[in-house]
Amino acid sequence: MQKTKGYQQIISWLKADKRKPFDFQKDTWEYYLQGYSGLVNAPTGFGKTFSVFLGVVIEALNQDKPAKGVQLIWITPLRSLAKDIARAMREVLLAIGLDWLVGVRNGDTSQAEKLQQKKAMPEILLITPESLHLLLAQKGSSSLFKNLKCIVADEWHELLGSKRGVLVELAVSRIKGLQKEHGNEILRVWGISATIGNIQEALEVIVPEESAKKMIVRAQLEKKIQIKSILPDTIETLPWAGHLGLKLAHKLIPIINKSKTTLIFINTRGQSEIWYQHLLDIEPDLAGRIAIHHGSIDFELRNWIEDSLHSGLLKAVIATSSLDLGVDFKPVDTVVQIGSPKGVARFLQRAGRSGHSPFEVSKIYFLPTHALELVEAAAIKEAAKENNIESREPFVMVFDTLIQYLVTLAVGDGFDDKQIYEEVKQTNAFKELLPNEWAWAMQFITSGGDSLTAYNEFKKVIKDEDGLWKVKSRQIAMRHRLHIGTIVSDAMLKVKFLSGGYIGMVEEYFVSKLKAGDSFVLAGRILEFVQIKEMTVIVRRSKQKKAISPSWLGGRLPLSSNLGAVLRKKYNEVLDQTHQDEELDIVHPLFKIQEERSHVPKSDELLIEMINNREGFHLFAYPFEGRLVHEILGALVAYRLSKLVPITFSIAMNDYGFELLSDIEIPMDDGIAYEVFSPKNLAEDITLSINSTEMARRKFRDIACIAGLVFQGYPGKYIANKHLQSSAGLFFNVFNDYDKHNLLLRQAYEEVFYQQLEEPRLAAALNRIQNSNIVITYPKRFTPLSFPIKVDSLRANMSSEELEHRIERMKKEVFK
Amino acid sequence: MKISIREEEFILDKERAIYLPSEQLLAISDLHLGKAAHFRKAGLAVPNSVSQNDLSRLAGLMEKYFPKQLLINGDMFHSDYNAEIDEFARWKENFREINFILVKGNHDKQSEKVYKNLAIEVQEPNYQTDKFCFIHDLTHCNSNLYTISGHIHPGISIYNNAKQRLKFPCFYFGEHHAILPAFSNFTGLQLVKAKENDLVFAITPTKIVKV
Repeated sequence: MQKTKGYQQIISWLKADKRKPFDFQKDTWEYYLQGYSGLVNAPTGFGKTFSVFLGVVIEALNQDKPAKGVQLIWITPLRSLAKDIARAMREVLLAIGLDWLVGVRNGDTSQAEKLQQKKAMPEILLITPESLHLLLAQKGSSSLFKNLKCIVADEWHELLGSKRGVLVELAVSRIKGLQKEHGNEILRVWGISATIGNIQEALEVIVPEESAKKMIVRAQLEKKIQIKSILPDTIETLPWAGHLGLKLAHKLIPIINKSKTTLIFINTRGQSEIWYQHLLDIEPDLAGRIAIHHGSIDFELRNWIEDSLHSGLLKAVIATSSLDLGVDFKPVDTVVQIGSPKGVARFLQRAGRSGHSPFEVSKIYFLPTHALELVEAAAIKEAAKENNIESREPFVMVFDTLIQYLVTLAVGDGFDDKQIYEEVKQTNAFKELLPNEWAWAMQFITSGGDSLTAYNEFKKVIKDEDGLWKVKSRQIAMRHRLHIGTIVSDAMLKVKFLSGGYIGMVEEYFVSKLKAGDSFVLAGRILEFVQIKEMTVIVRRSKQKKAISPSWLGGRLPLSSNLGAVLRKKYNEVLDQTHQDEELDIVHPLFKIQEERSHVPKSDELLIEMINNREGFHLFAYPFEGRLVHEILGALVAYRLSKLVPITFSIAMNDYGFELLSDIEIPMDDGIAYEVFSPKNLAEDITLSINSTEMARRKFRDIACIAGLVFQGYPGKYIANKHLQSSAGLFFNVFNDYDKHNLLLRQAYEEVFYQQLEEPRLAAALNRIQNSNIVITYPKRFTPLSFPIKVDSLRANMSSEELEHRIERMKKEVFK
Repeated sequence: MKISIREEEFILDKERAIYLPSEQLLAISDLHLGKAAHFRKAGLAVPNSVSQNDLSRLAGLMEKYFPKQLLINGDMFHSDYNAEIDEFARWKENFREINFILVKGNHDKQSEKVYKNLAIEVQEPNYQTDKFCFIHDLTHCNSNLYTISGHIHPGISIYNNAKQRLKFPCFYFGEHHAILPAFSNFTGLQLVKAKENDLVFAITPTKIVKV
């Protein structure tokens, strides 16, 4: 490689800039030129973009005449990333004089630009997984990829653990298939990933062929990270539960003031709006120098914020995960995390937003929102120090995504089912796909499931004269294109000023509760609701000082198991005071209260608290296994208790434990406790308890949308779906009643089982509990551990009573 | 479940219907025939058996009460003409002696000919007996008679202190008007709020429970 023209050109360009390549970059170029696919594992800030990208450039420079047509497809998970990467790439191409175009294609790309791209495709295409599938849904798209040399999945760790990763797998399998048809198998596929627990598996997912030449290139570089907690002066300052943490906001001001630019990460969009208002209230000097950035803010506004971040105009930006990834904002030197980040990897990723250059130290502050989060802070510091980083489990056998993909191909140039079956079987996601499951999926899109009746008016995908499966109806095609993707959100409406100018988006559900004249906050502005017109929310500036902030529904992040284990250890350390953590010293008085009212569980103990008050009878248990496992464990224990007596529970949980609440007394003693936490009959009891709660129904919500059963519409794009409104819940009922063998239904149960349950983890937890001491206490009042669970509003139900009996008792309570 | 409204006996059936013995009239609302086929035509794979099940439930009711008249209180057909309406025509042959009355609802947009061929008596905007006025959408009624409507697919949610919650389709009987549940199983629910003295009956899979 060293002798090639392209390499020399790159080196001399770098030299002119007084730079030289890192070893991992050179290694990547070498492997790429030798025809390898692979995975680059490097921390942010070390030029991972320049690893594969420059490899492709070197190869082009080595040719007599650089090839034309799409050469490199660069998949990014976030729209905001594409712009910056495109800018960096254009600079390089200009400097070394390679006559290639860089195009961006995603939800923010204008129609005019897309048309321009259709005429002359850029050589480098930066694209989201969704837009890549949209490309496949275009007529004539199959000829686009003839000369494609390389597909890169940037931030692959981020895509891997979601159905968007499956979108990437499927698109890659199709493009490989198309090249094979043209006898032109030149495609190399590379992932670029931060460190995760299962890096080898990450490679096997992006390059699944056993025979492929593939390699992991690791950057042997370490990013220095400094973590500091923002501590309250006394523990009484912090509430026992909550998500906001505004009480400590004043401690943030000096940090913002002494930093150049601070990024403040908050877990939800709603909370970010509240924090923005609050910071302005307590420090009016910040007006005009802070901004707010989240996924529901209008594209133009986000652009402005990102540009201002680059140029250092802003003192602080409050952001959600919308700014999580790779973007390189040079002026940012401080990062603040408000509330638990729930995982080590995410925390480190966010820390990496500051001190972006290779050898700078990343500085991150942790601001707890409630008292127990201080323990989490101590745990996260330890986990970060030990580099105890989570794995990202790839999704498999997701029929919703498969069905969407097949229709996508049918909307595009059509497909041959035998060929696509072979391609799909090559992917990691569907390598276990059985012929009868494939047949079901084909039936689902061609005849609408197994149909036994003589009349069948189902119309979606039909076989064309050329033998390919296609969508012929323009309406169905248009509806499908509008909903390609696997991110499901509530119907969103655009928000616009009466005088013109877009501000962002809110959920339809939120708007439906507003009356004309009501005020709400969006993008840090207080807006007065005027009306809804053509699927757009019309507002004007409000004169009010305070207003409600919209709650964007969204999944809550569960605590990762890695962090959970460290957290259990930290709990033990608080009382015996053998630790070095300042956070634990502060939280010590709270644990004294816990000890007085109940008990602080040791690592070989399971604590159960039985509390009885006017709400009813509460059972709290604290296995410290994370929210998802507690959801299942709560249902399991509730199910087993309900076998003893006819009883009904509502179930709540957080990352530390779960609560069962009933209106009648819950049977409990040592014997029962060991019985209901027993690993015996586990698989069977779990299946029964999942069936009798709403867990699968909730999973089905997303599945129905992805599979195209429920159409949600897109912001600002009004689609007449006359007489076609329905809900995922209705489909769930109908399939349950009339079509038990529906694979989408099965998928809903399996998603609960495999993604949430992690059966080995649950069995291990139950075995641990069997061998530990179960401590049952009867506190008179809520304890510091139980209170945060009690106030949680997300609840499930479990019952072994007759429905009619329950109604009788419940209505007595309502009307008394 | 038997109740009395304006001194007239009503039988509430858990198959989401009411029967008035004095008129020998069976009344249902929001049948939405052809909804499954309409969805399937648009490429949404709803199992066909949904509509068949609705019709067999209705047949069961006919055999239970032997009504002289079947009143459908609006939204009989979901959308455009499709094969499910043909299926309905064949099914209806079994009940030649029963008079089918349709009070038109917002979904009922078939041509007159369709109703005529099916021998369905169409009433618009309402159908009145001595004491009752049947209308699809309550907001459109000006009658002083006791009004019986449908349209909203009423549901009731019951909850208690222990944060438990149940949701069912329901019959609603207020002082001046009633709302019937949607007959079709392939329909959602809109929750109603009961005022004092209102009667609400939740429909569970096995029976009707007064709330």
